[in-house]
Amino acid sequence: MLIKFIQVTLLSLATLASANATIQQTKGDFIDKFRQLDESLPTPNVYRNAAGEPGHKYWQQQVDYKIKARLDEAKRRIEASQDITYHNNSPDTIKYLWVQLDQNKFRNDSMSALTTTFGGIGSRGPATATASSSKPAQLSLGALRRQQFVDDNVLGYHIQTVKDTAGKSLRHTIVGTNMRIDLSTPLKPGKKVEFSIDFAFNIVEEDAVSARSGYEHFPDDKRDGGNDIFLLAQWFPRLHAYTDYEAWTNKEFIGRGEFTLEFGNYDVELTVPADHIVSSTGKLTNAKKVLTSTQRKRLKEAEKAERIVFIVTEEEALENERQGTDKIKTWKFSAKNVRDFAWASSRKFMWDARGHQQGGKEQPIVMAMSFYPKEGGDLWKKYSTESIIHTLDVYSRFSFDYPYPVAQSVNGPVGGMEYPMITFNGPRTELQKDGSRTYTQAEKRFLIGVVIHEVGHIYFPMIVNSDERQWTWMDEGLNSFLDGVAGREWDPTIPWGVEPRDIVSYMKSSTQVPIMTQSDSVLRLGPNGYTKPAVALNILRETILGRELFDFAFKEYATRWKYKRPTPSDFFRTMEEASGVDLDWFWRGWFYSTDHVDISLDKISKLRLDTKNPDIDFSRLRQEELDKPLSKTVERNKSEGKKLWVERFPDISDFYDKNDRFTVTNKERNKYNEFIGKLKPWERKTLERAIKEDKNYYVLEFSNKGGLVMPIILELTFADGTKENQYIPAEIWRRSPKAVNKMIITDKNKELVSVTVDPRWETADVDVHNNHYPRQITPSRIEAYKSKKSTQKVSRDIMQDIKVELKKDKKDTTDENEK
Amino acid sequence: MKMKNNHIFLLMLGLLFAAPYSSAHQQKSAISTISFNPNTHNIEIMHRFRIHDAEHAVKHIFDKDADIIDSKKTQKQFNDYVNNHFSMFASGNDLKLTSVGYESDGQFFWVYQETPEPPALENLSIRHNALRDIWENQVNTINIEGKGQLQTMTFSDSVELLEVKFN
Repeated sequence: MLIKFIQVTLLSLATLASANATIQQTKGDFIDKFRQLDESLPTPNVYRNAAGEPGHKYWQQQVDYKIKARLDEAKRRIEASQDITYHNNSPDTIKYLWVQLDQNKFRNDSMSALTTTFGGIGSRGPATATASSSKPAQLSLGALRRQQFVDDNVLGYHIQTVKDTAGKSLRHTIVGTNMRIDLSTPLKPGKKVEFSIDFAFNIVEEDAVSARSGYEHFPDDKRDGGNDIFLLAQWFPRLHAYTDYEAWTNKEFIGRGEFTLEFGNYDVELTVPADHIVSSTGKLTNAKKVLTSTQRKRLKEAEKAERIVFIVTEEEALENERQGTDKIKTWKFSAKNVRDFAWASSRKFMWDARGHQQGGKEQPIVMAMSFYPKEGGDLWKKYSTESIIHTLDVYSRFSFDYPYPVAQSVNGPVGGMEYPMITFNGPRTELQKDGSRTYTQAEKRFLIGVVIHEVGHIYFPMIVNSDERQWTWMDEGLNSFLDGVAGREWDPTIPWGVEPRDIVSYMKSSTQVPIMTQSDSVLRLGPNGYTKPAVALNILRETILGRELFDFAFKEYATRWKYKRPTPSDFFRTMEEASGVDLDWFWRGWFYSTDHVDISLDKISKLRLDTKNPDIDFSRLRQEELDKPLSKTVERNKSEGKKLWVERFPDISDFYDKNDRFTVTNKERNKYNEFIGKLKPWERKTLERAIKEDKNYYVLEFSNKGGLVMPIILELTFADGTKENQYIPAEIWRRSPKAVNKMIITDKNKELVSVTVDPRWETADVDVHNNHYPRQITPSRIEAYKSKKSTQKVSRDIMQDIKVELKKDKKDTTDENEK
Repeated sequence: MKMKNNHIFLLMLGLLFAAPYSSAHQQKSAISTISFNPNTHNIEIMHRFRIHDAEHAVKHIFDKDADIIDSKKTQKQFNDYVNNHFSMFASGNDLKLTSVGYESDGQFFWVYQETPEPPALENLSIRHNALRDIWENQVNTINIEGKGQLQTMTFSDSVELLEVKFN
């Protein structure tokens, strides 16, 4: 136990030391858990001020794109040219530009490929496993498929030309997934430069290489050779962000740390087979050219409809996927103030839409739209577009009106991924032998959950443009917190997973890393980047700040950084500044350290006020003596019928046999009167009142075993059966972070019988066993499981099982239900 | 069938698959607790999987109709699968683990195992391959509690076998 203590202390000190290298506690073991964060945060400046707001000279670059792209369906290839206008709003003169070539990640010689360990971590993709003592190594068919795909296809960008407006070639150097373009003349602050890039690449098969985009092939479709769904993202050379805090954010794309991008305006022309339906970032500007008059009419109708309207019905989509065409069409989209551009194209898509009447000035109607093949089926028809609208509804309450004209959900091979105005989502129905399509409850939850999450990302980080490559938690953590809010407003019986209890096993593990860790380095990204920050924000909202303060501050953060680029310190500062509550201890504990919460209630002592009046105090002392258990010897003597000496010779007795040692004499009474007489009037009054009230005084002793300071929430249970809750702010730990005592005073008739710390499990306390005083016997999880009959109501794939006919013999029906 | 490297065999297992990309829904992260129960002198093993991970895994490990939430059969299959992909060794000896049961609880699916604590236990080696055989980036974490200071094992990268020592 002692060893444990010392180690915990050392660890905490080490953490503290690294956060504040210059200021250290070098004597004793005091840890200032409430030390202000300012010394660890970047110094406020004219770009980002001390309130966490964009400073008075805040700037960000702007990059506008005009792209013409052609999808070669047969070759599964994109050929494109783009004109880029780069606006230098920074105070710096720029000599070269850095461009992201994300498609190069799929090259055999990419850093991503070269650093994928065998059986490896981190990179997303098919499974491999190394040999261990008992088994030979495995290489999955999936891994082989990936390898073959990479061998058979030329992957990565083919950059054909990089030219300035005069047609002069610009010197460019490709470095992995990055390209440096040297400008012919340095770009001064406030100036812009135009240039163009012609490029092409072969689209990856999503199922083969596991990417954030790609094609999916449907070989069984009626059309000769089958059909594809194309999802295009990271599909054009995009400018790296140039920022006030990091300059060029040109960190290699390894696969996990997502994207850091600039806002700009896009005009994009997409040429695809004429029977394809295209879903894209932006507003369709040539509907007359690409949609039939019926489709346009339906779209108009959908704007004010109460339920979804099909722009392309299932029958029409099935007809499309049977045929195919040699003709082509060009769809034109325009998007203002977006940080990226993605699209999807297929002849398999049906298309539904419904207008979301959000009101407000900026964008009163948002078209919520879904695109999916027959494989999406009824699941998509029912829930996709409705989930989009629910998300917009909830997220806007926490931030701002949705500012774009469309919000879309597209079904394809990608499990879930977000882009401005468009998301890719994976859930599907299953084809049954009877030709119908059904889905499980799991798939339904998957669809609703993933659409809420991905559409939520259109706010964070597509509009509140945090740096994903550096900080996963800033988009995933905030978004998981909000999708939990939205999810529980949809149906709280679906578990959404941002409850404090969900994160305790991660937080007590010794391999936890701080949330403030760069994305590519995080071990266990799920609990670190998604769940822990989401839980932290949930605790902040429900337990520490309360909804009113939290919601105000969070909305302030969202609106301050709408269309701008916040960093972690901007979030921390805003939440604190707008709520008016010092939260540095909270950021320090939850985001900068690997401490966990474990508050133990070690002891409760009851105290009673001495009256100083010998007539009262002496009789109390006598009673205390009488209350002590009888000596065993005396008791046994008695039961054996032993006669005592004093009983046998009652005639031999004296004064002391009649007066015990608690007998009060005038000597004590005089002393008491003298004491009372010397009291000042207010002292006497206070004492008299206290004696009259005769309250109960309890001292509760707490220790902090986890290191993370948190409020102490108490449930007091009294002898009369009543309960009372008390909330002690975390600041109680400020001068003694390892142990604190707290006195609780109750009325005379309110006798305390037990106390529970954190009765509703809202602080993520890892060990609830030591939260009870007196201790309770808590069975282990396995013991509890064994002692109860599984209460889990195991039901069926009801959509399929409903078809089962009733059998006459009752016994058989049970077996039938177990599929 | 051999490749160039003598140590590598190709196992043609139809059930291994390309993981769908996940940005949110799946975390591919499981956490187990190994706890020494002083009352029963058992080592209790509690594996906690996220339903959002398990629901996708079962479709690939078993069949496309597998349903971790609603199908008793799938839950049983998954329990067996986890039992087959988790093993513990004490001083080189394979510990015989008893399957206690399984249950789903909110967003988690739990699988329970136990074994009597061997006398004079000095170390434990553990292999935890559940879901790591289908997903390259599945990470399994184990907290070992109730015997000295809490120790954590993390199965990620190419890690297959880990050991803890007890003082």
